[in-house]
Amino acid sequence: MTGDLVVHLARFAGALRSGGVRVSLGDELDALRALARIDLGDPDETRRALRCTLRIRPRDARTFETLFARLWMQTGAGAAPRQAPPASEHGPGNPRPGLHRSPAGGDAREADVEVEVPEGEEPGYSREALLRRKPFDQCDDRDLAEMERLIVRLARRLATRRSRRLVPARGRGRADLRRSLRRALATGGELVWLARRERPVETPRLVVICDTSGSMDAHARFLLAFVRALKRVAKLTEVFAFNTELVRITPWLSAGQQRTVLSRLAEAVPDWSGGTRIGESLDAFASRHLAQLVDARTVVIVFSDGLERGDPELLAQAMRRIRARARRVIWLNPLLSDPRYEPTARGMAAALPFVDRLAPVHDLETLERLLPHLAS
Amino acid sequence: MRAEIRALQEAMSREGYIADEAIATAVFLTEDLQKPLLVEGDAGVGKTEIAKVLARLRGTELIRLQCYEGLDVSTALYEWNYPRQMLRVRMAEQEGKDAGQMEEAVFGRSYLLERPLLRAITHREGPAVLLIDEVDRADEAFEAFLLEVLSDFQVTIPELGTIRAVHVPHVVLTSNCTREIGDALRRRCLYLYVEHPSLEKEVRILRARVPGASETLALEIGRFLQALRLRRLARSPGVAESIDWAQALARLHLDHLDAELVQATLGCLIKDRHDLRDLKAADLSQLVSAARGAAARAS
Repeated sequence: MTGDLVVHLARFAGALRSGGVRVSLGDELDALRALARIDLGDPDETRRALRCTLRIRPRDARTFETLFARLWMQTGAGAAPRQAPPASEHGPGNPRPGLHRSPAGGDAREADVEVEVPEGEEPGYSREALLRRKPFDQCDDRDLAEMERLIVRLARRLATRRSRRLVPARGRGRADLRRSLRRALATGGELVWLARRERPVETPRLVVICDTSGSMDAHARFLLAFVRALKRVAKLTEVFAFNTELVRITPWLSAGQQRTVLSRLAEAVPDWSGGTRIGESLDAFASRHLAQLVDARTVVIVFSDGLERGDPELLAQAMRRIRARARRVIWLNPLLSDPRYEPTARGMAAALPFVDRLAPVHDLETLERLLPHLAS
Repeated sequence: MRAEIRALQEAMSREGYIADEAIATAVFLTEDLQKPLLVEGDAGVGKTEIAKVLARLRGTELIRLQCYEGLDVSTALYEWNYPRQMLRVRMAEQEGKDAGQMEEAVFGRSYLLERPLLRAITHREGPAVLLIDEVDRADEAFEAFLLEVLSDFQVTIPELGTIRAVHVPHVVLTSNCTREIGDALRRRCLYLYVEHPSLEKEVRILRARVPGASETLALEIGRFLQALRLRRLARSPGVAESIDWAQALARLHLDHLDAELVQATLGCLIKDRHDLRDLKAADLSQLVSAARGAAARAS
């Protein structure tokens, strides 16, 4: 094997990595071994062997194909790794401008109403109790930090479901023949003591799809705080944000502070706080991520006011596909807290038949009431 | 293309499996590099069939482990034969043996029930083909355990010691992508994503698997399926379904698709209540006539 090939492959793998494709050194070694075994003169065969050994998944296929055509096939022609095309989640085609203006007027509660609740002023209520009922759109950053701690405590209750696996236990559960017999040997084959196994507690799997359009802005921050707390308890939680396009934001929630998450969001989600296309975004979720992330154990939470600007039929279709796969679909709508609100907005009405539970969400207490529905 | 890969592709097709170049290359590499192959793709695209045809080609045993939630070591790897052990202990007691001798007697290979993974490792007549089917259904903990077996091809049984593979088996893992397979397991395997087949490939598959179907019928079925998959269905029909359907239509001695019979036999293809409801009769007859028209132009 020539040294050139090694260098070329390393450069190619580097370009893939900067394009967001995860390629490990082990993959590269496999690729080298494979390249030695195939016909390097045949570009298609080389491409197939590389896809197989570098473990290119369908979602990275486009990045791979682009880079393969540009870097691999043009040996030496200034083939320095460059910034790769945008991550696959952004999908083809740029968001059309003009449709992104935030809705005229907007929601009254969206305005910057700062209602300070001084500590200890209301007798009989702890700060925690106050926080629980404080509407999200009236909270400041300090409240947010405290709320997050509170939420984490609440979220621990989520871990209540029993696994189907059996692990050794004391005093309860099913008989464990293997260990029982092992101990019986010491007493001459007499079963004096029965070992047992039981099912351990299992945390639920959640997928949260969060509308970050203008009409939802004030609430989105708090829902993200809630989701971050959920993720600490339920590690498998996946989070998406959308307004006109869908973006997977799970990786950003594991590290860093709320502020950085929000600023990254604003950068990456096209037109953060702009208009909404719920149907298209949910359809994108159903096409790209549904099969991988949602199964019969997964609870899907959609957080949106249902003010759809696109085609309600598309929204209904997407919701049906999600409903068919998930254990439960929960739709959180901040507008529900308004007693005059009826879920008749075009989008909401289209989605309603496929929602197991439509719940209000405007303060911590409403989130707390939601917890049992996530677990069972 | 390398001669070995082409030969493999042809051999697979002789066994009734129409493999495109990507599949043939992946199978060649997995044998050559002695690494497991992780095959992902929608249900019914022929993932499991890859392992079956590989076993037939190599004239070896196919050992299958069907995964499910809650699958554990005692069903996947080995289990002691407790009733036999109990009886043996009683006998040993009557013979007046002490605990040490008793243990030696009871924890021998003959008291071990071999489950698929262990059977694949201890297979004596050449390397077996081990199919770990629908690995996405098993839970993450089982995945971690698989890692151990698949990286070293050895198993440690506390009472017996380490058992090493006599021959490293050809391992094929399949996943329907109902959940992400962990990175660690993914890294141990080569990777193949199987798409729904192209029209030309699907027609070849139908011709190979359903000899009773005429060429025009196969072509029309292929066209119909390709158009159907473009619709937004909750459960898109795979090749497995199109083969079933072709068999059903061939049994009815059809030479052409016919809207009424398509409606009557749709249950072979569409297995979702909502999808069935959404595909209106008018839709179907349009799909049928489009398929017939295109097939007629092609021939």
